[in-house]
Amino acid sequence: MARPSKDEIHYLLLKLHSLTGIVPIGAFLVIHICVNSLRTVGVWPYQLSIDAINNIPFLLIVEVAFIYVPLLFHSVMGFYVANIAKTNVHRYRYPRNGLYTLQRLTGAVVFVFLIYHLGTTVGPKLLEGKHHFEAAPFLIDIMNGEFQTWQGIVIYAIGIVSATFHFSNGLWGFCVSWGILIGEKAQRNGAIVFAMIGLVLTVLGMATVAEFNMNPIPVEATVAR
Amino acid sequence: MTEKTITIKVKRQDTPNTPSYWQTFKVPHRPFANIISCLMEIQKTPTTQDGKNVNPVTWDCNCLEEVCGSCTMVINGQVRQACTALVDNLKKPIVLEPMSKFPVVRDLQVNRERMFENLKKVKAWIEIDGSHNIGEGPIMPDQDRAKRYVMSECMTCGCCLEACPQFTMDNSFLGAATFNQVRLFNLHPSGEMKKEERLDAVMGEGGIADCGNAQVCVEVCPKNIPLTESIGDIGRQTTWQLIKNLLTK
Repeated sequence: MARPSKDEIHYLLLKLHSLTGIVPIGAFLVIHICVNSLRTVGVWPYQLSIDAINNIPFLLIVEVAFIYVPLLFHSVMGFYVANIAKTNVHRYRYPRNGLYTLQRLTGAVVFVFLIYHLGTTVGPKLLEGKHHFEAAPFLIDIMNGEFQTWQGIVIYAIGIVSATFHFSNGLWGFCVSWGILIGEKAQRNGAIVFAMIGLVLTVLGMATVAEFNMNPIPVEATVAR
Repeated sequence: MTEKTITIKVKRQDTPNTPSYWQTFKVPHRPFANIISCLMEIQKTPTTQDGKNVNPVTWDCNCLEEVCGSCTMVINGQVRQACTALVDNLKKPIVLEPMSKFPVVRDLQVNRERMFENLKKVKAWIEIDGSHNIGEGPIMPDQDRAKRYVMSECMTCGCCLEACPQFTMDNSFLGAATFNQVRLFNLHPSGEMKKEERLDAVMGEGGIADCGNAQVCVEVCPKNIPLTESIGDIGRQTTWQLIKNLLTK
């Protein structure tokens, strides 16, 4: 096989940037928000799901391969893409141009938020070696503390809204650039559907934050049989 | 009765490599006047607001009916053709600038060569010449003809590129006008024979994947060409081409 040219590499990297935003990163975001929203149903189903996740075999390898590496790639490419652009929404005030600008802005916001989010959750978990059934009480304890200050709530609110917006608007961008939505009507209808998906994810995320804020209940480790 | 005047601020530049500067002119108001006729007024008496005699402002224009695209400039911050910009509909003072995404030749004249180079890159034509008679081409379905007619109205004016946040002087982005031409010629039954070459030409640096879907192009297009539909369609064509390339090359 011939070595790909510079042009081919450029094209493939951009396509991969678009694709990684949907799978695995977007898919992970949906699962992450949905699983966490179990907290609003009760502590027990929530803990159960964390137990299940933390007992995935080779969890760290799975996380690195399917979350951290794609996320880092998507971020690096994202900053590259945003750097090429010269936003002009102040001159050309059209809704889609505003969304285009927000997409780049929220990408950067989510990047910063994720450094904080990983630094307060996965970071300490790995440093203190809390694995398997020990992870849930450790993480729940952290999360109980995260939302007790208004600063914590604001940080998470910004992070969640930015992430859900970036995902749902990115879903639309993916559909247009891969040629799934072509016509003007199709693109508009797609935007409405994706906006609703984004809204649902935002509500689920914020409900979880509210639940943690109002009912910070500590838990004991599930006993493995 | 005092004569009504219009104030026009012009961003000027003497040569391609000298810095730009602003000058303000006053021209008599005439109903239904367009920017071109105001520029002609300035040409008659090139005196600035503060009485300084200067070189007349230069600009490009040709058809004066929004068909050729040569008088495209930035008027009150928005890119459009000067011939159809009527002074009565514009906020005063009127601010004229050359397009910012193309090299300035002088004053309001720019060099849009990049657009024509891009058309060459994607082979925006139908090859009918051969060393032998290649015979008649296939018949075009009427619905394709209708679709192509709208796309074919592009006059290479550069509005879509000037307003595009992704298109800058220092990158190689092809832009909406070029993608629309790829779709136009790929949809032609004879042009389709060069389809893969055109798609390969937009699957590189500055190609279709660089589009950020800000969709300002379609908003500013004076010919109302469905540019975003063309971009979506080229997105689909290149996706299939990518799969084909990955599996067969």
